[in-house]
Amino acid sequence: MKQKISAGYIIGLVLVSLFAILCILPLIYMVAVSFTDSESLYIQLKDLRFNFSNFEYALTKRDFGTALKNSIIVVVGSCLLVDIVSTMAAYGFEKKPVPGKEALFQGYLATMMIPGQVILIPMFMMFNRAHMTNTYAALILPMVGAFGIFLMRQFMVAVPNELLEAAEIDGCGEVRRFVTIVLPLVQPALITLTIFTFNGAWNNFLWPLIINTKSEMRVLPVTMSTLSSNSTTNYGMVMAGATLTFLFPFVLYIFLQKQFVEGIALGGVKG
Amino acid sequence: MSSIVPSAQRKISPRRRKQAWIGAAYIAPSFVLMSIFNVFPIFLSIYYSFTKYNMASPPVWIGLENYAKLFSNRVLSEALVNTVRYVLITVPLQTVFSLLIAAFIAERMKNRYGSFLRSVIFIPVIVSLIASATVWNIMYQPKGGLINQILNAFGFDSVNFLGKKALALPSVAAVAIWKGTGYYMVIYYAGIMNVPADVQEAAIVDGASPMQRFWHITLPILKPITYMIVTLGIIGSFQVFDLVYKMTGGGPGRSTYTVAYVIYTFAFQDKNYGYASAVAICLLIAILLIHLIQTLFFKEKEDR
Repeated sequence: MKQKISAGYIIGLVLVSLFAILCILPLIYMVAVSFTDSESLYIQLKDLRFNFSNFEYALTKRDFGTALKNSIIVVVGSCLLVDIVSTMAAYGFEKKPVPGKEALFQGYLATMMIPGQVILIPMFMMFNRAHMTNTYAALILPMVGAFGIFLMRQFMVAVPNELLEAAEIDGCGEVRRFVTIVLPLVQPALITLTIFTFNGAWNNFLWPLIINTKSEMRVLPVTMSTLSSNSTTNYGMVMAGATLTFLFPFVLYIFLQKQFVEGIALGGVKG
Repeated sequence: MSSIVPSAQRKISPRRRKQAWIGAAYIAPSFVLMSIFNVFPIFLSIYYSFTKYNMASPPVWIGLENYAKLFSNRVLSEALVNTVRYVLITVPLQTVFSLLIAAFIAERMKNRYGSFLRSVIFIPVIVSLIASATVWNIMYQPKGGLINQILNAFGFDSVNFLGKKALALPSVAAVAIWKGTGYYMVIYYAGIMNVPADVQEAAIVDGASPMQRFWHITLPILKPITYMIVTLGIIGSFQVFDLVYKMTGGGPGRSTYTVAYVIYTFAFQDKNYGYASAVAICLLIAILLIHLIQTLFFKEKEDR
């Protein structure tokens, strides 16, 4: 189907392209400044150095190394926990005759409407009482949520019951059926869920800010927030920190772009 | 109940009962975690909202006192006004931008450049709010920030974006729009792709211009998605915290205090956990009301 090239088309093309430039300009600026050695307030192109001194400084002197390690531990832990718990729950909800499961599922979905600030204070008290502040568990355990279970259940529907029944008749045990039949079939959904959990855990800020206050237990966004970005700071080092924070999700996005976008579209259109 | 169940069904019940137990075992881990970290805290929060609690001593029941004090609190009412202003800036702009971009790319740019632009516009979505706030803070700097360097290059005076009361909130909102548009664009794009191609083709055959098709076909079909995006946008913007915390700290003055920021300061700076919980419960009620309105609105439109 051919379309005419009209003035409206050209204007639209220019506007959308301009918007795209506006979207990446701050990030290009971020990376550029992270490579400048500038003591002055004015960041200029002639200060561009193309060395990693700002990154070295941020990682070694400003605790970004520790924060990076903590963030990676929390993200890996969260992804494993959320993937396992959500897939198991989705399988139970979709394929097993548990009485009252639909009511429970609706209850799960209702929790998605609760804003984080509402449970912040009681969660803070609970973890304090349990002496679990400044632990990785404090950041990982609350990551399980209704969204993951909802997402996995959407895909669990497509797992054919006949296949499960046939395997059962062939003497394939319950656990083996789950691991060798169900898991491979829902793998695309697991990748989407992992991306979501990765982003959620990697970018989580308010909860880690209040619950893990010791500097050796901070995660990247919290360490990032402690660097002041007023005019007295070394912009290069601050931007190196921001670039590091951005780098990991960005690499993931480059490789798994389709799953990123499909996950959001699915959650959006159906939710 | 059991007497009503016909005997034929009761015979297969041992296997079914076993399956039910196995299913319960699969659901159990999520049930435990959801109960502890999602459901129980709500009730605890409701309880705290009726108490005076500073963590040094156990909570003291004071009935509705916290709620009574909410209405006379200047800080809170300012925060509420700021939050509503913030929602009114971000939600319309990010919704319109994401719709127009998605519609244009989906209908007029079915090529590699179109999908490239889509990928690029999505990139800010994956930047954490704190990193976004940091980068934009530096860009907004009155001395040497990128935006002011550009303004100066065109002969304009520098603007202190985050230091002026009138400008601080819109400047924070701009970052949210920058970060949010790509997200909603993806949802709109998926929605437009679900529109049957023959509807559009029939309109083209009938000689409808791209503008007419947008107004009379695309827009009406996307209505449910628009309701959802507006609701998600309002709820998300209503809870703005990270950007305010990092970019302005609520200032200058109290010009960027928002509801979520106020809950944080009441609780974790003033150690007034009971009072902060009362504010949080009001936030919960407000958000549930927004959901309810959307559901009713959506139902009514569906029925027609």
